[in-house]
Amino acid sequence: MIRLTKRVEFCAAHRYVNPRWSEEENRRRFGKAVNLHGHNYVLEITIQGTPAPDTGMVMDLKALKDLIADAVMERLDHKNLNVDVPTFAERLPTPENLAVAIWGLIAPRLRDGSLYRVRLHEDDGTYVDYYGEGGRS
Amino acid sequence: MSTRPGPMETTPVVEVTQSFRFSAAHRMHNPRLSAEENRRLYGRCNHVNGHGHTYRLAVTIRGPITDETGSLDDKGLLADVVRQRVLERFDQANLDDLITPADGVTSTTEILTLVLWRLLDEGLPPGRLVRLRVEETPNNFFEVDRGDRA
Repeated sequence: MIRLTKRVEFCAAHRYVNPRWSEEENRRRFGKAVNLHGHNYVLEITIQGTPAPDTGMVMDLKALKDLIADAVMERLDHKNLNVDVPTFAERLPTPENLAVAIWGLIAPRLRDGSLYRVRLHEDDGTYVDYYGEGGRS
Repeated sequence: MSTRPGPMETTPVVEVTQSFRFSAAHRMHNPRLSAEENRRLYGRCNHVNGHGHTYRLAVTIRGPITDETGSLDDKGLLADVVRQRVLERFDQANLDDLITPADGVTSTTEILTLVLWRLLDEGLPPGRLVRLRVEETPNNFFEVDRGDRA
């Protein structure tokens, strides 16, 4: 068993507003994050599997790059997460929820290997890891 | 996101890692060994007047996403605990004043990592802390997991 990781970057805007709270409560809880702002996200997708005997690869990294482009970048890059991404109409566009949502976009499309981890960096020094419903093995 | 999901059936569990840094001095020296043995064992790190590093910590906590904030609870607490329990004591300090013989023989980064694990684990809700990485330099780093401590 071996793991491989593809790293990509995307840029998106978001704001934190819980519609069940007053404007004042949102401002108190989320501070300046209630204002529309943006990040350069760094996404690392890690696939786990056994190298196929005929290719020596768990998964072709080019195929993984294309899959991420189609499943993730197309939906999130240079978008307003609150407005353009249906999931975040009902859920705050935090890095935690983004990591879980990205898992849901990638995992069902994989044919070779299995999704091991989604790691999302929102800024230098802070990142979120999601290992799927089963947690880290 | 092509389909519009309702409330999640199960609350996803995520891990959040935040990084911090502090600058500290130390000298690696085992008082039970001779000066020559210390020099042989620790090399330049045994330099008599001490030396220092900018240590970088990567602290990982694990827990469920709270629906109303979309965040792992205690993400804010983590920064407070690190500041109060580690940075305020260890930044601009001499590790050899803080690491005692009860912690270990001298201020290696292995022993420092175990000391910092204990300080952070005691300051956070039970089971939250799952990994600690201490970088002495970008080329030398030390990690401990909750599983290692069990």
